[in-house]
Amino acid sequence: MARKKIYEYKAKQLLFHALNIPYSGFSVTENNLQEVISKLERDKKYILKVDQGVKGRMKKGLVKLDLLEGDVKKATEELLDKGYTRFILEEISDISGGERYISFEQIRKGIKVLYAQQGGIEIESNKNIQEVIIGAENDEKLTQLDLPQEDLKKIIRCFNNNYFAFLEINPFIIEGGNITPLDAAVEVDTAGEFFVKEAWTEEDFAVHNAGEITQEERNVDKLAKKSQASFNLTVLNPNGSIFLLLSGGGASIVVADEAAALGHGGDIANYGEYSGNPNEEETYIYTKNLLQLMLKSGAQKKVLILAGGVANFTDVKATFKGIIKALDDVKDDMAKQGIKVYVRRGGPNQEAGLAHMKEYLEKNNLYGHVQGPDLVLTEIVKKAVKNL
Amino acid sequence: MIDIHKISHQENKIVTIGSHPKIIQSMLDFDFLAGKDTPSVVGIIAAGRNVERYFYGKREILLPVFKSFNTVPKNIKEATTLTLNLVSGRRVLDTSREALTFFENLQGTVVFAEGVPEKHAIDIWKEYTEDGKFAIGPASVGLLIPRVLKLGAIGGVDATQITDSNLMTTGSIAVFSASGGMTNELIRIVAQAGHAPSFSLAFGGERFPATTPKDAFETAEKDPNTKAILYFGELGGQDEYGIADLLKEKKVTKKVICYIAGIISDYFEEPPQFGHAKAMAEKKEETAVAKRNTLKEAGAIVPGSFAEFVKEIESLPGKVEFDTKSSTIAQDMIDRKHALIATSISKDVDGNPTILGEDLLEFAHQNSFATIVSSMFLGRKIRSKDTEEFIDFILKLLVDHGPYVSGALNSIVTSRAGRDLSSSLAAGVLTIGPRFGGAINEAASTWLSGVAGSKSAPDLVEEFAARKEYISGIGHRKYRVDLPDPRVTEITKFAKDLNDHKYTDFARSVEKVTAAKKGNLILNVDGAIAAALLDLLSEKEGFSTEELRKLVDTEFFNALFIASRSIGFLAHALDQKRLDEGLLRLSDEDVAEAKI
Repeated sequence: MARKKIYEYKAKQLLFHALNIPYSGFSVTENNLQEVISKLERDKKYILKVDQGVKGRMKKGLVKLDLLEGDVKKATEELLDKGYTRFILEEISDISGGERYISFEQIRKGIKVLYAQQGGIEIESNKNIQEVIIGAENDEKLTQLDLPQEDLKKIIRCFNNNYFAFLEINPFIIEGGNITPLDAAVEVDTAGEFFVKEAWTEEDFAVHNAGEITQEERNVDKLAKKSQASFNLTVLNPNGSIFLLLSGGGASIVVADEAAALGHGGDIANYGEYSGNPNEEETYIYTKNLLQLMLKSGAQKKVLILAGGVANFTDVKATFKGIIKALDDVKDDMAKQGIKVYVRRGGPNQEAGLAHMKEYLEKNNLYGHVQGPDLVLTEIVKKAVKNL
Repeated sequence: MIDIHKISHQENKIVTIGSHPKIIQSMLDFDFLAGKDTPSVVGIIAAGRNVERYFYGKREILLPVFKSFNTVPKNIKEATTLTLNLVSGRRVLDTSREALTFFENLQGTVVFAEGVPEKHAIDIWKEYTEDGKFAIGPASVGLLIPRVLKLGAIGGVDATQITDSNLMTTGSIAVFSASGGMTNELIRIVAQAGHAPSFSLAFGGERFPATTPKDAFETAEKDPNTKAILYFGELGGQDEYGIADLLKEKKVTKKVICYIAGIISDYFEEPPQFGHAKAMAEKKEETAVAKRNTLKEAGAIVPGSFAEFVKEIESLPGKVEFDTKSSTIAQDMIDRKHALIATSISKDVDGNPTILGEDLLEFAHQNSFATIVSSMFLGRKIRSKDTEEFIDFILKLLVDHGPYVSGALNSIVTSRAGRDLSSSLAAGVLTIGPRFGGAINEAASTWLSGVAGSKSAPDLVEEFAARKEYISGIGHRKYRVDLPDPRVTEITKFAKDLNDHKYTDFARSVEKVTAAKKGNLILNVDGAIAAALLDLLSEKEGFSTEELRKLVDTEFFNALFIASRSIGFLAHALDQKRLDEGLLRLSDEDVAEAKI
């Protein structure tokens, strides 16, 4: 579980609701573009922004300003052509009264509030920032901020009730004595999903750029959501030669680091890890997806590094059984491509698991190396890259 | 803050909140290997069965399971010094809070679950710290002190993992990591380098660990056994700056060896999220390189590669012997098997039967039959003379109610049909149920609910009337308000002598309401026995309301009836044989024709 950005559209819905002001923006995709345009008013001006959690949109040209109803189609298509898929369309607000900045972040001591009278620019370049750390929504320290107090409390209540971890409103304006957000970026604490009762769901997590994610990564994501155990998989280089099948959040980074330290950073095809004692079937699905990516890679020589620390409670025998099942599905293709498998692992039932793995790899001409905890964790990477 | 010295010099008693059999078993194995007489885990708070089976060494033991905090008995509640929270992320805050207020002698807790909301983790940290207790986690595999304490999965769940890592030997290296897997990896590296940990803990990879690296380093500095600190960190978060400050301010003077992983992050276009929630470097100071440099400047040894890190550990002084003895014991535990049945009643010791832990012959000499019957039914020896007298009285009282009642009649009919003695007995016993003989148990259930729910007698009577049900324990064929049943008077006398007789009082108040409706709706023998027994068991035998409820659910009250009445059934069966009565057949006038 971690912090994740949600779509600005969703963030605004929550925020405007909390502030008791109607929200009239649209979430736009290729599919509903015509429908949205039909709802626009002729004499009004609009702003169109990419809504995929991208930072520095203005600089990157991902914001289209001053659009009339007739301009929206073309502007959207331009951004679609750049590969973006999701946008937010709003009426342009009057900012003559001045743009301001405010952000809220969950920290150990409470909520850190940063406020600047000048907004609309990146916070790093903002000079006059006021910082207040508050413990509760009615903390007296809030009065140090020269802002409508009731609105501030409403925002903080919204922050707390919706398990926000970070909220940046940059900029906002004060309209009729009330705070009106123009831009909003929200990171939610994903562990709070159960408690927010569908105020937001995982459907609202901003997907950076949907087009770049492989089907295999998506499959693993799906697996992770269903399982008690944890899984993740990120493709670094689809044509890489080093494929990593790693276990444990910490050990996996050590192994990936070592490959980079040995000068093979560019050869690393993926980062990922499984942990939390997945069962045989789950390990099978995870491995299967990784092996599919591996077989697709155009690299000349490929190695699979199956490594992890000495597990506390993940059963080595059971997880290896799932891995072997997945290897078995594609063993001939792997042998044809000359792929070798390098294994270093420890934990409950390690003797049986390692012996089984060794026997299997040898039998199927996939054997690179198999060893337990008496081999230093990173040594397996050295052995593997020698074969590249 | 965690006080390693204190924990190492006291008897630690642990209650787990939630169950994770592999982890709990590994804690028991650890205790056994450490040579403790009894396991440190004394109970489990979880749904499901009343006990869970575990091994202590190769011997099977049962750990009590409690449905809620409130049902934990007083002796366990008071003895508990530590909890291990194994419930899912969403239930962690509530249960941690409850543990904090419930266990008066609690010193700290470990939270195992991942996916605890940040706010909840912060609340746990705040509330435990303010109360002078420690909390480790969320997402922590636990706290380990060699030979002393294994609070969590830390160190592995196979007994051989514990001994392979030489964890029965106290060493001099404190081992810390946010990562559970790397904590254990480091523990193993330490063992392979000829060392052992002084203690070890995993902070958990979430954003707001309740015990921070800074806290752990301060604990290690205070711990006299610790000579060096081993730390594995990752990119993301800023914990390492707290450690660097401690080193710079000379608040930690022991040798510190660190490895910070996450160089790989630079190979991604956008900073990726690694396995742990915190493992993401959004700012420059959160990168592995920045943290390595800071720690190095502060005086820590920060090797660039993992292999060098391992070499540094190997070069530390103060090596220890590998403990082969516990290793042999652990090997011997691999092939243990669960028993086919579990029992707390009796067993055979060297050919001599024992009942409730006492030699049978001795048991028979020392105790009355009533004591033996009731103790065996309760699963533990009764304590009071009053209970013994009462049970003795009712065992006699219930022995027979004449040949007219269904059970006795069935025994008679069966015996006359030429069946053997045990068949005749069985026929009688099989008749006992909701309409015949089961009233004591039913009545006990009603009185118990009535008193526990603080229900008024008129309300209870109204409820039964609305459902058109009889109240078990109320009503007699012959006796009436103005002609009281002498047996009932006798029975209630036992309760009257107690300090508290709330069940009998309640039964009497129900009788008041029902008898006002109809004169024969008085408290009968069954109802009086049930009430008096409840009063006795709660005052003289120390049974809690929950334990009494369990007795009702397991039909303890029926057991007394069946035991006593079996004698009557046997007597009737024998009598029929003695009289040589032939097969019973009903005459025509005994059978009416039913037309529907």
